[in-house]
Amino acid sequence: MLDRLTSSPSSKPNAVRFLAWVFFSAALLFAIVGTLMGDSFYVRLATEALIFGGLALSVDLLLGHVGLLPLGQALFFGLGAYVSALVLKHWAASFLLAIAVSVALCALAGLIGGLIAIRSKGVYFALISFGLAQVVSKVIYNTRELGASDGMTGVPIVTVLPGLQTDNPLGFFIVTWVVIGGMYLGLRYVMQTPMGRLFAAIRVNEHRVGFLGFDAWHFKLVAFVAAAVVAGLSGALYPMLRGFVSPELMFFQVSGSAVVNVIVGGSGTLIGALYGSGLLTVLKSVLGSFTAHHHIVIGFLFVVVVIAFPRGIVGYLVPLLEKRGSNNPRGGQA
Amino acid sequence: MTSILEWLQLVLAPQSINGLSIGVAVVLMALGLTIIFGLLDVINMAHGECYALGAYMVVLILGMGLSFWWALVLTPLIMGLFGYVMERGLIQRVFHSKDRHTLTLLLTFGMATVLEDAIKIVFGANPQRVEAPVTGGTELLGLFFPNYRLFVMLVGGAIIVAVWLLVFRTSLGAVVRAAAYDKDMSASLGIPVSRVYALTFAFGVALAGIAGVLLAPIYSVFPTMGRDFVLIAFSVVIIGGMGSIKGAVLAGLLLTQVQSLSSLFISPVWNDTLLFGIMVVVLMWRPQGLFGKLGHA
Repeated sequence: MLDRLTSSPSSKPNAVRFLAWVFFSAALLFAIVGTLMGDSFYVRLATEALIFGGLALSVDLLLGHVGLLPLGQALFFGLGAYVSALVLKHWAASFLLAIAVSVALCALAGLIGGLIAIRSKGVYFALISFGLAQVVSKVIYNTRELGASDGMTGVPIVTVLPGLQTDNPLGFFIVTWVVIGGMYLGLRYVMQTPMGRLFAAIRVNEHRVGFLGFDAWHFKLVAFVAAAVVAGLSGALYPMLRGFVSPELMFFQVSGSAVVNVIVGGSGTLIGALYGSGLLTVLKSVLGSFTAHHHIVIGFLFVVVVIAFPRGIVGYLVPLLEKRGSNNPRGGQA
Repeated sequence: MTSILEWLQLVLAPQSINGLSIGVAVVLMALGLTIIFGLLDVINMAHGECYALGAYMVVLILGMGLSFWWALVLTPLIMGLFGYVMERGLIQRVFHSKDRHTLTLLLTFGMATVLEDAIKIVFGANPQRVEAPVTGGTELLGLFFPNYRLFVMLVGGAIIVAVWLLVFRTSLGAVVRAAAYDKDMSASLGIPVSRVYALTFAFGVALAGIAGVLLAPIYSVFPTMGRDFVLIAFSVVIIGGMGSIKGAVLAGLLLTQVQSLSSLFISPVWNDTLLFGIMVVVLMWRPQGLFGKLGHA
């Protein structure tokens, strides 16, 4: 564990920064070229990949940085989506209001969920977060006022900025790109602060953090609430893109694929979560055109990654880039 | 006064007996999970799929023209072999990594995805029905019980007692408990620890398979049948204490009773919410669950 701390990507930002530049430029380029070629299906799919990338970011914050494995992070994603849809439908079709209310309620839900889940450690945390999401999704699934199993449709089109509406594929892609990119930079920044270092310390040795005079529980709760907000904010974008929400957004498949995205992309790197989400979206749509059973392939891929490349794509690429990028082998440490 | 007695006899008792037959299967599931966790520290996320696979084995074996009794004998053997291969082929590979808690959980989660889709490909997505091997009913204390429910209780109860005796009263069980308590010391005393691990994993998977066989005639058999069922088993294991056999049995019987009796008063859709509420309260009081881990109690 200790070697993972000292060689964590935050101590050698160049390769990670390069990969982040590549990701965000490539995403933007893809959307612009797609729009110029008259496509809207793939631009919207890319927007969805970014939105689910935001959920994966929140999983990586907990799994890769604090060492808590959340198996029910879709709870907050779905909550953000439902709150956003409700605000847009019944209150006002305002982008900022929907985002603000979703963030506030997800922070509150994160606080309550955190007070329950943070008490437990390790696998207990994973199972409690799993159960929490399962129960809330069941409640929504059985609540007729929230559309029950059908979910809610007819979310209105929203004006984000004058002249920029959510039904414009490229326009809304850029909105999502800015929101997810902003969250990525924000999390990146937090990891450089003393609090971010404490997250890493908790991951490596929670017991010792107490002896250093810090309350690990307190910081874990902060991380849990922050992750809920990141997931909720990503979820709030979903009904603006698709015009509907359904209880499936909270189901285990969504939480599970977020974990798959993080592990395949590389946990503890943040940008890996986005790479994983992008890669798996591509994989699903390519495989989906051949067979209805793409889960079996993705499941196999995931098993192989866990066994052979537990650090994921980014965790695998960063050392290679480091070696190539600098003649001075210790340059990354500076 | 008589109306209360009648209510107890005609409403509460049958509900409780029905709950008990499900409870026995839940205990078998939970025993598998808890034994695997107690010895290997592995959470088997594919346990629900192993249960489903057990139920599909019945469909397969009945389809070959053999009787239900063959299914009851063959399924645990096939599932045990499957579990052995899974442990040797996959879990063993990440077992010595420092993050093995997370890695094994992720690995079995990946396996669950693969298994569920594989079941869909091989058997199709439509639910299938399995005929119960014993039909009819018996009158007990003026009440009518389906024979198959009584049969499930009898067979399941016998298996639970056998597991208990195996773990706590035989030298084989002592080997398992010793390996759970201190694997290095056990290895230096000549216990083949890694084989014990694989066989224990196989044993846990076989128990999930038996639960699938027993419940197949009660519920219909479909690919995602393990998903909701495994949530109950997880709650049982968390409440009873992860790795505790006593905890799995007591919490399993208790929780399924709560579940079936509460459905007299509230809609069954709130079952999971109720279970989870109980789980949270227990965890606030005792974060490690009610009882201690295998080998430590």
